[in-house]
Amino acid sequence: MNARMFAARIALPVLAVIAFTGEGRAADFDWKKFQGKTVTFLANNNPVAQALLTYKDDFEKQTGMTLKVDGYQEQQMRQRLVTVMNAHSDEVDVFMTLPSREGEQFAAAGWYADLSAMAKNEVAKEYDPAGLSQALLKAATFGGKLTSMPMNIEGPIFYYRTDIFKKCGLEQPKTIKEVEAAAEKIKACDSSVTPFVSRGLKPAVAYTFSNMLHNIGGSYIAGGKSNLCSAKGKEALDIYSRLLRDFGPPGVVNYSFQQISALYRGGRAAMSFESSNELRTVMDGGARLKDTALIPFPAGEAGQVPTVIGWGMAVSSYSKQPDAAWYFVQWATSPAVQKKMALQGIAPPRPSVATDPEYRKWIDEEPVRKEWQAALDVLATKGSSEVGYPIVANPESREFIGQAVQDLILKQKSVDQACADADKALDALIAQK
Amino acid sequence: MLDAPTTDRWIRRLNLLQLVLAGIIIMTPTVWMVLSSLKPSFEVTAYPPTLVFTPTLSNYVDLTKTTPFLSYALNSLIVTIGSTALGLLFGIPAAFAVSWTRISWPAILTLAARMAPGTLFLLPWYVMFRQIGMIGSYTALILSHAVITLPIVIWVLLPSFDAIPRSVFEAAQVDGCSVTRILWRIALPLVASGIAVSSILAFVFSWNYFLFALVLSNGDTKTLIASAFNFIGEGSTQWGALMAAATLIALPPLVLAALVQRWLVSGLTLGAVKG
Amino acid sequence: MSDSAATLTQDRQRLELSALSAPAVIFTVAMIAFPVIYTVWLSFQSFSSTGNQSFAGLANYSKLISDHEFWHGLWVTLALYVLSLALQLVFGVWLALVLFHAKRLPGIVRSLFISPFMMPPVVAGMMWLVILDPSLGAANFILQSLGLPPSDWLASPTWVIPTVALIDTWQWTPYVALIVLGGLQSLPPSVYEAAQIDGASPFKTFQRITLPLLLPTIVTAAILRSVDLLRFFDIIYITTQGGPGNASNTLNVYGFRVGFEFFNIGYASALMLTLTAIVFGAVLACNRLRGAVAW
Repeated sequence: MNARMFAARIALPVLAVIAFTGEGRAADFDWKKFQGKTVTFLANNNPVAQALLTYKDDFEKQTGMTLKVDGYQEQQMRQRLVTVMNAHSDEVDVFMTLPSREGEQFAAAGWYADLSAMAKNEVAKEYDPAGLSQALLKAATFGGKLTSMPMNIEGPIFYYRTDIFKKCGLEQPKTIKEVEAAAEKIKACDSSVTPFVSRGLKPAVAYTFSNMLHNIGGSYIAGGKSNLCSAKGKEALDIYSRLLRDFGPPGVVNYSFQQISALYRGGRAAMSFESSNELRTVMDGGARLKDTALIPFPAGEAGQVPTVIGWGMAVSSYSKQPDAAWYFVQWATSPAVQKKMALQGIAPPRPSVATDPEYRKWIDEEPVRKEWQAALDVLATKGSSEVGYPIVANPESREFIGQAVQDLILKQKSVDQACADADKALDALIAQK
Repeated sequence: MLDAPTTDRWIRRLNLLQLVLAGIIIMTPTVWMVLSSLKPSFEVTAYPPTLVFTPTLSNYVDLTKTTPFLSYALNSLIVTIGSTALGLLFGIPAAFAVSWTRISWPAILTLAARMAPGTLFLLPWYVMFRQIGMIGSYTALILSHAVITLPIVIWVLLPSFDAIPRSVFEAAQVDGCSVTRILWRIALPLVASGIAVSSILAFVFSWNYFLFALVLSNGDTKTLIASAFNFIGEGSTQWGALMAAATLIALPPLVLAALVQRWLVSGLTLGAVKG
Repeated sequence: MSDSAATLTQDRQRLELSALSAPAVIFTVAMIAFPVIYTVWLSFQSFSSTGNQSFAGLANYSKLISDHEFWHGLWVTLALYVLSLALQLVFGVWLALVLFHAKRLPGIVRSLFISPFMMPPVVAGMMWLVILDPSLGAANFILQSLGLPPSDWLASPTWVIPTVALIDTWQWTPYVALIVLGGLQSLPPSVYEAAQIDGASPFKTFQRITLPLLLPTIVTAAILRSVDLLRFFDIIYITTQGGPGNASNTLNVYGFRVGFEFFNIGYASALMLTLTAIVFGAVLACNRLRGAVAW
C-alpha cells in the first residue's frame, strides 16, 4: 500500500499543481458557460449509469443545462447507438462505450469525438485528468485520439468459498495449477458442489479467458499472426477448457454471468471466476457474505496480468454541441462525482478516490468489500485491457476464441485442431482492412 | 353441440382429462413466473426450486420506484391501440376484397413486411423518420407497429371471409347492394370471431414488440416492453423484478383476451342468417 | 337487367373492391419500399473497417454462397422450422378442439389457456433459461424426481434445436389454437346435425367433416407461424446466443450479429434479403395450399 499512499499524498498533488500552473485554465472555468443547452445522453442501464444518474439534478443545477437521458439494457443500447451512428445523426451527444470491445471499431468508423484537447484545456481545476487510471486512459486512446473518459473499473476476479476450502484442507490458491489441484480435491471431498464455474458461452468466454492467457504469458497476436497455437496459447486453452469440462457445471457452454452468479450465490459452486461487477448480485440475500474470499485470478508463469476494463463516456462526433457535451462528461467523471458513485458500490477508476477515507470506511464495513477493493487495486495497477484480439474486428474475434474453448469443452476437437481452426479464422480477421 | 349417443359420458370425461392435461402443461411455467415475482431475486434461482415461501411484494414496489412504469404503460397502450385500430381499419376491407376476388397478391404484399427480419427496417426507418422529424412521436411508432398488425388482421380474417358462401353475396348483389354495403352489413357480423381473434393477436404482437420502439421512440414515448430488458444485465440481473415486470406487462393482453372471449364463444353462425 | 347495365355494375364492383384493398396496399408500400430498396443497395456495397464504403457488385452474395456459416444457419433454421411447425399445428388443432368442447369454461380461464404467447419473448427466454438450467432449474429437478437421467437441454449441441422447438411450441401452440378456434366457431352447425343423424362417431366426424372444413384456417395458421419461425431470433438470442458452438445459429441470429456486432452492414443486408426470399418462397408455397383447400 505504500506506493499507493505515495501516489495519493505526494505524487498526485504535485502533478496536479504542475498541471494547474502548466496550463492556466482552472481559475476562469465557468460551469455555467452552456447554460440553457440540452445534452442528450444514451446510457447503458447498468449500475454504473444508475449510480451516476442519481445525481442528475446536481449536474443540471451546477451547469444550468438540461440533461436528457435515454437508458437501455446494454445490447439494446448498442443496437440503438449503432443505428443512430450509422445514420450520422446528431440525436445523441454523449454515450457510454466499452473501449475494450468496440473502441477500435468505433474509432475506425469515426464515431468518437477527440477529447484530448478538451481534457487538457477545458477543465475545472478539480478535475484532475491525470488522476484517472492511466491504463484505462491508454485503453481508450486510439490513433492518438482520446475517445472516452473512464467511468469505472472492473474486471474478472476469483471468488471462492473459504468454508469449503477449509473443509477440504485447502489454502488460498496462489497459482493456476493450485486452482486445478483445488478443484480436484473439492470434487473428491464434496460432491454436492461444483468445484469451478466460469464463462462458457461463446461470445462471453474471451472476457475471462484473456486473463488466464495473459497470466500464463501467452498473447493473441505475434508477428502479425494469430498466436493461439503457440505453446502458451495451447496451454491456456487446455487449462481453461479442462477446468470447465472436468470441474464445471453441466451445461457450462451456455454459462455467462447470470448463471454463474446464480450458481455461486446459491452455494452450489466452490470457485467462481466472474466479473467484479457481480459482487452485489452474488451477495444478494446475504448467504455468501461471510464465506467468500476474493482475489485476482491466481498467477501463471507470467505472474498476474488481470484483465481490467471500464465503461467510458464518449462524445459523438456527429454531435452539434461537443463542447457542451464535454461539460457533462467532465462532470460525470470528476473526482467528486466518482466518489459519490463509489459509495454506491461503483469501483472508481481513480486511485485518489479509492483511497478516500469516506470510501475506505464503506469498504471496511465488510471483509468482502475490502477484498474486492484490494483485488481491484491489483487490477488497476497490473491490469491489461486486452479482451479478445486488439483489432477492429474485436467482437468477431471473441467468437472464434469462444468457439475454440467450446470445441474443447464439448470434446469435439483436440487442442491442436481447435487452436489451428481458430488461428486460421483469426488470421483472416486480422488481415481484414 | 356434438353429442354421439352411447359414448357421451366417456367423451366428456376424455375431454376433461385433456383439458386438465393441457392446462397443466400450458400454465405451469406462467404460474412459475408469477410465483417468482413474489420471491426475492436470489430465491428465484434457488435450487431445489422452492414452492413454499413467504411472498413479498417488494419486487413490485421496487419496480414502480425505479421505472416510470405507468407512463411507459400509457405509451404502450397508445401505440398498441393505435396500431391495432389502424390494422383493423385497413385490414378488414382488404381481407374482404382479397377473399371476394380470390386475388392474393395484396395479402402477400402486406405479409412481406413480416417476411423480412425486423432489423432490416431499423436503419432505413430511423433515417426516414428523422428526416421528417418524427423520431419519438407516437405517429412513427403507430405506423411502424401497424406494419405488423395489418398482415395479422388480413390473414386471420381471410379464411373467415372465405367460409361465407358466395350465395349470400350474390343474393345481396341482386338486391342492388354495393360491395361496401355487403361488407359492412352482411359479411362483418359473420366474421365476428375472426375479428375478435385478429384483434387479440394484433394487440399482443404490437404490445410485445420492442425492436421498432428501440430506435423510433425517445425518453417520452418509450414503451413498456423496453423496460423488461432493464433487469437483465451484468451486475444488475434482478430475477424477481424481471418476473414482476413480466407479470405486469402480460396483464393488459390477458385482460383484453378475457373481454373479447364473448365473441369467440358465441359469434353469429350462418344458420341464423339463412332463411 | 340488360347486359350493359350488368357490366357497369361489374366494373363498379371491381373498382370498389380495388378501393377496399387500396389503403392496405398503399400503406404497406409506403412503409417498406424505402427500407427494401435501401437494403438492396446496401447489399451491393462493401464496408471497410474505417467505414469507407465502395460498390462491390455481387461480392456479398458470392461470399454468402461460399459461407459455411450461412449454409449451416440455413440448416438450423429449416430444422427448427419443420419441427416447430409440425408440433404447433398438431397440438394447436388438438388444443382448439379441447377448448371448443369446453364450452362452460369461464372466460378468464380460457384466456389463461392462450396466455403463453402473450408473454414477452425476452421474459419467456429468461424464464426457460432458468427452468432448463441443468443445475439450477426445475426441469432436471422434475426429471430426477421421476428417476430419469438429467439433460443438458439448451447446452447440448444435439438437443438444443429440439429444446428450442419445445419452448417455442409451449409458447405458440395456444396462438395456433386461438386461430383454429376462431375457425371452429364459424363452422356451420347444419353439417354436424346431418352427421349426427347419420350416426357418425365423433372421431369420424372430425376426420371426415371438421378437418377438411378447418383446413383453410389451419393453413392460415401455418402461414402466420411460418413467417415467424423462419425468422427465429428472440429465444435463441436470450438463451444460447446461437450456441453451443453454432448449433442454434439461425439465419436471423447470424445476420443480426454480422450487422450489429461485426459491423459488416453490406454482408448483413445480403443475408437479410436472402432470408426474406426464403420466407417469401415458403409463404408462396403455403398460399398455393390455401388456394387448394379454400376454394
